[in-house]
Amino acid sequence: MFKLLREIVKTGDVTTRYPKKPFPISPNFRGRVEYDPLRCMACAACTIACPANALSMVTDPAAGKRTWMFNYGRCVVCARCEEVCPTEAIVLSGQFELAVRAKSDLMVTAEFSLVTCRQCDTPFAPKKEVDYAMALLERAGVNPHDLELRRVQYETCPECRRLNDFARLRETRLVSGLDAPAAALVADLVSHMAPLRSGAELEP
Amino acid sequence: MNDHVTIRRGQSHLDAIRLQYGAAIEDAEWQTENQVTVTVALASLPEVVETLYYGREGWLATIVANDERQLNGHYALYYILSMEGADRCFFVVRALVPAHKPEFPSVTPRVPAVVWGEREVRDMFGLEPVGLPDQRRLVLPDDWPDDLYPLRKGAMDYRTRPMPAAPAETYTFINEKTKTSTEVPLGPLHITSDEPAHFRLFVDGERIIDADYRLFYVHRGMEKLAETRMSYNEVNFLTDRICGICGFTHSFAYSSAVERALGIDVPERAQFIRSVAGEVERLHSNLLNVGLACHFIGFDSGFMQVFRVREKAMTIAEVLTGARKTYALTLVGGVRRDIHKAERLRILELVAELRRDVADILDILMSTANLEARTRGVGRLDPKIARDFSPSGAVVRGSGFARDTRTMHPYGAYANAPVVVHTEQGCDVLSRVLVRVEDVQNSLDIIEYLIDKMPEGPVLVEGFSYIPQRFAIGNTEAPRGDDIHWVMLGDNQKLYRWRCRAPTYANWPVLRYMFRDNSVADAPLIVASIDPCYSCCDRMTVVDVRKETTTVVPMKELERWGRERKDSPLA
Repeated sequence: MFKLLREIVKTGDVTTRYPKKPFPISPNFRGRVEYDPLRCMACAACTIACPANALSMVTDPAAGKRTWMFNYGRCVVCARCEEVCPTEAIVLSGQFELAVRAKSDLMVTAEFSLVTCRQCDTPFAPKKEVDYAMALLERAGVNPHDLELRRVQYETCPECRRLNDFARLRETRLVSGLDAPAAALVADLVSHMAPLRSGAELEP
Repeated sequence: MNDHVTIRRGQSHLDAIRLQYGAAIEDAEWQTENQVTVTVALASLPEVVETLYYGREGWLATIVANDERQLNGHYALYYILSMEGADRCFFVVRALVPAHKPEFPSVTPRVPAVVWGEREVRDMFGLEPVGLPDQRRLVLPDDWPDDLYPLRKGAMDYRTRPMPAAPAETYTFINEKTKTSTEVPLGPLHITSDEPAHFRLFVDGERIIDADYRLFYVHRGMEKLAETRMSYNEVNFLTDRICGICGFTHSFAYSSAVERALGIDVPERAQFIRSVAGEVERLHSNLLNVGLACHFIGFDSGFMQVFRVREKAMTIAEVLTGARKTYALTLVGGVRRDIHKAERLRILELVAELRRDVADILDILMSTANLEARTRGVGRLDPKIARDFSPSGAVVRGSGFARDTRTMHPYGAYANAPVVVHTEQGCDVLSRVLVRVEDVQNSLDIIEYLIDKMPEGPVLVEGFSYIPQRFAIGNTEAPRGDDIHWVMLGDNQKLYRWRCRAPTYANWPVLRYMFRDNSVADAPLIVASIDPCYSCCDRMTVVDVRKETTTVVPMKELERWGRERKDSPLA
């Protein structure tokens, strides 16, 4: 009993003044996600990494827009998004206060405009992502002529690029030189893809 | 399969059962050097498990059922035994159950420890244990449809829940009373305590004659979720959330299981960091329980002091991992963050402070007359009952068995760590408190050792590929006992089957025997002594079957009665 009283007196008051005074945390604390839409290029790496499905993306082809969405209510503060983000658009801060008055306040969204494909006019990739890739090449010292060729390539959607590749392969007679089953496979593939795009001239 | 295994432990057990059962032993395969899976004929399953359990010092780790119809046209049962005598290993007895005749001979009449596992297998897979005396459901609620088995492949979408198939609860609470008694239901009336559970105490006056309980009111369907939605590394963050107190140890066990299935060599430094985090978790959780023990014997000043000291353990976790709980530290192949010099020094500083504080607090606690008066001889767990049901952690160590998976089947960086497995012979609540007190001191030594001996090097390996249908066991010693994770990898970047057994699952079944012959006022104390993720009930309803009266006792009153043991609210 005496020991306990001595311990209590020795310890004194341990209650902190929180929330009047900020509560100290460790330097490495994983706190609330801070998002910078100006740095983000909607590459979707974070939405794939997120184990809790707090991060998601939806594409609206009609409006040519892609929406990045983050739900603080689902977030488990694991920092996987921070780990995979190539542009440091997501950083975990030291903040831990997440109370809001309305549930909708837990949602953060950002809209990104999409590049439309030069050949088929379908919106397919975020404009900022294409610009980011071009800027990387430019900084790597690629000459302006090649850079322009790359831009044409990057602003063509994957489906059209695939069809272009087939067309090129056929010109170089790589496809026509195949044995019968392989040629049939390629023909089948092309016929499936052709109706998707206005690629009538590609019919084998 | 599993050519990477060169050392093969468990051969002596295999030879022994081969000699005894001959042709019934069909196949044996090593997953790691200390994990062997032996396929036996279904009809011989009970005898083989019994021989290994009682004849060769096997203890039950868990039972896994697996829907392998797309692989071999059968359901499979895996009885995982931890062999703790000579030739230590995990010995897994596997039996195939034909898809057209989903039943198997129950092992429960021979080895009572498997009772919960077999009841769960019936609920989740619809495999009927023939000869199992207990016909009640374990996991599924009473209003669940009869023919829907959630863990069968393609049985249901994890996001949906079927319409209730029954209008009311039909669960019957069983007992072995011989004369008329009063029934005391405890819970699940309110769930603001950690977790809900429903206890039914059969009492004569204030003496408990028998007890039964029902749990799983908050079954979250994690195994199904992991199998259907999550990739291998995402499951790490799910396992962190199995328990609010000891989640890390689950992610440690899960990652170990996947790594062992694939034969991945995890960098030594990563294993040290994992073990430090695991030990920090054991430290703060054991302190929490020592605090709760103070609370339940009415020594609330001690409770407050223990929680004040425990804050330092939480700070160590925060320095080490970036969070007080849910460390999000492990990935398959290693850990996500290293321990740098500044952090290392800070941890050592905190450990030194803790050592002083803990010594002072424990000194005060141990010299409190109330502690011994209230806990000695209360909630006795007979060693024979313990042997029959394979509990783990402080529950079994308080009854004289030195069971600790850190020394039985060393993992992480524990092989050379100064682990002291403390046992007590008292078999009562006091013994379990004393075991935890010793564990707290030992955790501090282990943390210091691991921080001091931590080798340099990488903390994560990557670039391995997942091989379908490989499987293995992961084991860790959580604060409350051993965690067992069994995983089988799939072919779609998802687990084919994941079975997780937390220690409390192994500790609940013995609680019934610990209740017997104790006063109702001691019930909350006995429940708390197994340190479940549930410590007391908000209030209890007393039903006197003879007078047909119902009395509701509020939680505060029950707690007061539990502490003071006078002015019974039942009188």
